[in-house]
Amino acid sequence: MNAYNRKTLVVGVLIALAIAGVVSYFASGEPDGLEKTQEELGADQPMHEGVGSPPSIFNGYGLKGLSAGFWNNAAAGVVGSLLVLGVLLAVARILKRRPSPQAADRT
Amino acid sequence: MHIASGFLSPSVWGTMAVVSGAALAGSALVATRQLGDRKVPLMGVMGAFVFAAQMVNFPILAGTSGHLGGGFLLGILLGPSLGIVVMTSVLVVQAFVFQDGGVEALGANIFVMGIVPSLLGGAVRSLWRRRGWMTYAATFAGGAAAVLAGATLVVLFLAWSGALPAKVHLAEALGVMNSIHLFIGLVEGAVTVAVVRFVVGARREAVFEAELAAPAGEVPA
Repeated sequence: MNAYNRKTLVVGVLIALAIAGVVSYFASGEPDGLEKTQEELGADQPMHEGVGSPPSIFNGYGLKGLSAGFWNNAAAGVVGSLLVLGVLLAVARILKRRPSPQAADRT
Repeated sequence: MHIASGFLSPSVWGTMAVVSGAALAGSALVATRQLGDRKVPLMGVMGAFVFAAQMVNFPILAGTSGHLGGGFLLGILLGPSLGIVVMTSVLVVQAFVFQDGGVEALGANIFVMGIVPSLLGGAVRSLWRRRGWMTYAATFAGGAAAVLAGATLVVLFLAWSGALPAKVHLAEALGVMNSIHLFIGLVEGAVTVAVVRFVVGARREAVFEAELAAPAGEVPA
């Protein structure tokens, strides 16, 4: 990987981790706009049978079994951000493997 | 703005799963043409950033919070098709690992927070190649519009699912949802202007990689 891309990755990941791992600890715990709307309209009780969530080591944005606090929130933030990054690098690898029609025209 | 599990009827979430699935497949095909060497790391870190930013709920009004959507931002920086791919990845991780947004509601949530805002972001993307005050104004207004469009769609999905009490008029529900999301939208617009300014300033070659590489008049969609 060249220096330009390495810097994109390193600086980008550091910014994301600082926000997900540290800044998010100070986030508001109030219901978000949709939850508040559903509360106000009396529409906050699920009424259809949903599809359950798959098993996870996280219960919301915190590790299961660990009490809520700075480190628990940081764990969710760091793992989640890196997971999204990993998924996207894998997706990019798969997408790039497909020969694009334009590239085929030019060669 | 993630729709939780148990609020959408099977016909609504099924329809939206098909619609978003088709749009995602189309976006992935188009995105293969835009995935230059410099775009890949940018796309990865922008996804991580949007996940991170969504964890930061900021207070608005009394007893209410909001957080960045990010789909509009991704549409500007990555183009609409890559933006949709990235936003989908964020929403899938949130639903499957953090129980944020119902698994069956994924199609609807991808439509609301990924497809619609990314397409709107794509509409102002070219303005950022030669930015001026118009660019900032259009981005700010577009960010707010993307949030309001999403808020409106969520209420419609809930209404079609029979998830609003019979005594609540659709107009009332739209009014409550949109008046709250107007404030969230103003923050979305302002944050989007600041973040896009920063990223275009620092990584212009990555943001406009496909456009800079293509000969004049042959810009990949």
